[in-house]
Amino acid sequence: MTRTSTTHKAALDKLHHYLSAYVPLNRQEFSQLLPYIEIREYDKKVKVIREGEIERYLNIISSGLARKYLPLKNNEITIQLATEGHIIHSELSFHNRIPSGSVVETIEPTVFFSISYDNLEQMYDQFPKIERLGRLLISELFIKKDRRYFDQLNKNTRERFLEYIRTHPQMMQRVPQKYIASFLNIKPETFSRLKHLIRSKKS
Amino acid sequence: MLDMLRQYVSGYVALTNEEFTFLADKIVVRSLDRKHQLVLAGEVEQYMNFVVKGLVRMYFYRGKTEVITNIAKEGQLIGSSASFLSGDPSSYYVETLEPSLLLSLTREDLDRIYQQSTRIEKLGRLMTTQFVLQKEEWELECMRLNTRERFLRFVENNPDLMQRVPQKYLASYLNMKPETFSRLKQLLRKRPTVIKTTNR
Repeated sequence: MTRTSTTHKAALDKLHHYLSAYVPLNRQEFSQLLPYIEIREYDKKVKVIREGEIERYLNIISSGLARKYLPLKNNEITIQLATEGHIIHSELSFHNRIPSGSVVETIEPTVFFSISYDNLEQMYDQFPKIERLGRLLISELFIKKDRRYFDQLNKNTRERFLEYIRTHPQMMQRVPQKYIASFLNIKPETFSRLKHLIRSKKS
Repeated sequence: MLDMLRQYVSGYVALTNEEFTFLADKIVVRSLDRKHQLVLAGEVEQYMNFVVKGLVRMYFYRGKTEVITNIAKEGQLIGSSASFLSGDPSSYYVETLEPSLLLSLTREDLDRIYQQSTRIEKLGRLMTTQFVLQKEEWELECMRLNTRERFLRFVENNPDLMQRVPQKYLASYLNMKPETFSRLKQLLRKRPTVIKTTNR
C-alpha cells in the first residue's frame, strides 16, 4: 500500500514539516524514513480498527477526520476526535499487543500516514533521531491527555463546552454534534441548549 | 536503594553498568517528612521521583475540595508529570502522605542525559509511553465500570493502600463520595459469606 508517488508529494512535504517541529530532519534523513511509512486512504464512516482486533498501526492524519470510541452495552463514548496532524490509534492494543477495546472510525474521507508496530521498532533501532522524535511526540500526547482529564474533573459542563468551541471552532462544522457532546461528556440535549447560548451571545 | 531503581528500569531497557551509573550519578536522594509539599500548583515541576519508601499523593483543588488524581507507593514514579514534561506551571500539588524516601532527577539533568545517551532516551520514551497507557486505561475503566466494580477492582489490586491511605483520599481518587466508599467497604466485609453460599 506504500505509495510515494507525486500525488502524495504535498502530503509528504507536510509530514516532513510536521516532524521537523520536533526534531530537525534534512531531506535525506526524511527520505530514509519513507520506506517505513504507509499511506492509507479511507472513505468516511469506515472502521479502521474494530473491537477485538489487534492494532497494527500508529496513524498520523494527513487529511480528514477520525474519532476513537468505546463501545458499551447500550451506547458508546467518543474518547478522541482527531484531525490533520493528530495521532490516532488504539494505543493500549498497539503497545501491549492485546485485542482492542476501542474502535477507530473515520468521520470524513481520511488519509493516514501509518507506521506498523514492527516498522516503528525498526525505525527506533536504526535512527537515534527517531528515538527523540518518539519521546517528544509521546510526551505531547501525555500532556494533552492530562489536560483533558483535568478539565473533565475541574470544569463544569458549560465551561467545557465554551472552552472547546473557542479552541476548536472548525470542529463544530465538521463533526456531528452527538460525537462532540459525547467527547465532552455532555448530554445531547444540554449540548443543544448550550449552542443556543452562543448564538444569542453573538447577536 | 539504587538496586530497586535498577530493577525498575530494567523492566524497560537493559542498561549496561556504565549507562546506569551515568543515570545514577545525577540522582538526588531526598528524605522527607509526611505532609511535605513537593510541588505547588503554579510552580514548574523540577523533579521526577521514584518512591523507595513511603507514599505520595497528587491532587488539585476544585473550589475548596481536594481532588486526588494519583497515589504512588514503593516502586512507583510520582511527580507532576505534565508540568515536568512541558515546562508549564503545574495544575497539581504533590505531597507526601507518609515519611518518604525518594530518588529524584531534575528536568535539566534528564535533558542533558538524553543528549548523551540514546539508550536512556529510549528509557524515557518507554516510560512516557507507559504514563500515556496508564492514563488511557484509567479513563476507559472509569467509563466501562460502575462505581462498585471500580471499588472492587481497586481493593483487589491495592489491598495495602486500603490500610495506609485515609479513606477520604481513596474515595477522592476513585471519584466517589466518601459515603459511597464506606458503604462499599461494608459490602466487602459481607463478601466471604456470599462466596460460601455460592459454593453450596
